[in-house]
Amino acid sequence: MLGRGVKRKWSCLEELEADTLRAAEKEQNVEDEAGFLAAPSESDLSRLQQRQLVLGLCMEKLRGYQAGMELSLRRSVLLINTLRQIQEDMQSDGASEALLLHGVHRESCPLGDEFGEDVPVTCLRCAEDDVDDLSPSPPLSPEFSSQEADGSSDQQKSLPAAAAINTFSDAVNAMGYLGDLALDMDIFEDIDTSMYETSDLPSSWAAGSLWPVSVSLWADEDVKTRSPGHGGAGSLQSCRMDLNELDHIMEILVKT
Amino acid sequence: MAGVAGGNDFQWCFSQVKGAIDEDVAEADIISTVEFNYSGELLATGDKGGRVVIFQHEQESKNRPHLRGEYNVYSTFQSHEPEFDYLKSLEIEEKINKIRWLPQQNAAHFLLSTNDKTIKLWKISERDKRAEGYNLKDEDGRLRDPFRITSLRVPVLMPMDLMVEASPRRIFANAHTYHINSISVNSDHETYLSADDLRINLWHLEITDRSFNIVDIKPANMEELTEVITAAECHPLQCNVFVYSSSKGTIRLCDMRAAALCDRHSKFFEEPEDPSSRSFFSEIISSISDVKFSHSGRYMMTRDYLSVKVWDLNMENRPVETYQVHEYLRSKLCSLYENDCIFDKFECCWNGSDSAIMTGSYNNFFRMFDRNTRRDITLEASRESSKPRATLKPRKVSTGGKRKKDEISVDSLDFNKKILHTAWHPKDNVIAVAATNNLYIFQDKIN
Repeated sequence: MLGRGVKRKWSCLEELEADTLRAAEKEQNVEDEAGFLAAPSESDLSRLQQRQLVLGLCMEKLRGYQAGMELSLRRSVLLINTLRQIQEDMQSDGASEALLLHGVHRESCPLGDEFGEDVPVTCLRCAEDDVDDLSPSPPLSPEFSSQEADGSSDQQKSLPAAAAINTFSDAVNAMGYLGDLALDMDIFEDIDTSMYETSDLPSSWAAGSLWPVSVSLWADEDVKTRSPGHGGAGSLQSCRMDLNELDHIMEILVKT
Repeated sequence: MAGVAGGNDFQWCFSQVKGAIDEDVAEADIISTVEFNYSGELLATGDKGGRVVIFQHEQESKNRPHLRGEYNVYSTFQSHEPEFDYLKSLEIEEKINKIRWLPQQNAAHFLLSTNDKTIKLWKISERDKRAEGYNLKDEDGRLRDPFRITSLRVPVLMPMDLMVEASPRRIFANAHTYHINSISVNSDHETYLSADDLRINLWHLEITDRSFNIVDIKPANMEELTEVITAAECHPLQCNVFVYSSSKGTIRLCDMRAAALCDRHSKFFEEPEDPSSRSFFSEIISSISDVKFSHSGRYMMTRDYLSVKVWDLNMENRPVETYQVHEYLRSKLCSLYENDCIFDKFECCWNGSDSAIMTGSYNNFFRMFDRNTRRDITLEASRESSKPRATLKPRKVSTGGKRKKDEISVDSLDFNKKILHTAWHPKDNVIAVAATNNLYIFQDKIN
């Protein structure tokens, strides 16, 4: 297993694929990868694992743009569509989703582990950096008020889902570069997540917003308009809202 | 003309390789497009450094008939320079995205080359004579003292060493907001189209200050954007018809007679998705990277990430032929997504008689499919087999189970070596294959 803050290597991915393949074979002897989508139980887990992986990579790719170079619109659109598909997938999975995903996090598979913990933490960290570092942004429209988690049991449940949702907001952030906003580069530096141990998570979570990236893009107003009191139950709805936000921002930024 | 070879009729053999042998490849030297002209006498390549290199077919002689597939450098010029968009604070790469030859009308050759934003029309002409004996200037070109001109003479043309000149004749700029992915000369030989991610423009070859927007898929709200144009081409015979492909795996055929703005297509080609093979990557791998009409104009071919499909223009609901290019990668999509290979844009091409098609893959492999016999072959562009006249050995990738001798396992494929651009001589079994910074030329060898 890779230590924290260590970059994943190509071979690591291959292992995951081999793992998932093996798992599937154990389950149902002969099954191709596509079969994961339909099959239940263990292979369902692998599907969730893959989804989490794809989601994480999506975000990484949307963020990892090259300064001064125009993003390929084709690539961005394909990535955003993949995000949308994952979102739909999550919505259709319903409420059991969060728990299942949470299960994945506790799996011992190196990547599952990495993504289970790294991605959400990374996003949180991003967000915090954003609040500090971003140059002034356009004001936020009221509909995009962000939410805070309250109650630790809710946090436990919504944590993984929130992670995914955070990444959606990240996409918003990334798509912003289509519109060539000159944003501070610091947030894209390799992020050392070592300071966020699992045990610290709930506290850092409670301290910050569940919607950190919305904060990041609209730093000025959002801090003021951030309203507490929305629980984890609204996460799916928020997810949808978040996508609207993405679209809205795209509209503003990409319009020529 | 025969198909893909590998059987008894003929085999492919090595002819030439162009480009440096060095292990470390300069980014600027990577070939980004390859194109034969209409006669096959000239072969043009463009690279990421904005250069165009034109090769000319070596004249055959009776005692050296094997020179059929030999090309030598004819002209090299800098087509595009890196620029900076000050409004957007973005660099504009000099990389040549596409080259298209114009049908030859006189002794000179013309081609269009494009980077992300600007299309240029180049004239490539030969000069082997030079005028001498001007009255007002001397041989060095300096003006002569008028008082010393005491008699008039008639300038004469003197033979000189052959010189090939490339001169920019037209520059078509400022018409594309997004990245140009395709240019295509129309069969009327007077107009051409250029396509970027969201729009297609129609130009007259003589007019640079205006173009007609014939397709615009940019939604009023960019939030609704879910699809981009990935390639476009004019029909080879009907100058009113063109097609464009999209990132959703569909192809639209438009008729310019129907309306000036062809936002509404005449035909819509789409294959229903197989629900059993659905995954998170379905849309990405169905995105079409290239579309090419057959020479006859009856068919078109599209390339997506894993396959190449041949469509009959008269049947919109499914392709008439589907060929798997590297189906063994389906189980590797996650890795290919991680390392960004899944966004690679493979191109495809027809042979001169439309009986065979060719497209690239990874590990410097390229694939050919014979449409009549349904035979396919995998060949490799490598320096190891680059001895003159050496026959290319068919390669095989093992797909699960035990790896047989001479087979290469999927895991040992080199994904940094990819063949995205290939070209087939319009009349002969000579192919040009771009492998990173090298251009390989292969030809058939009749058994």
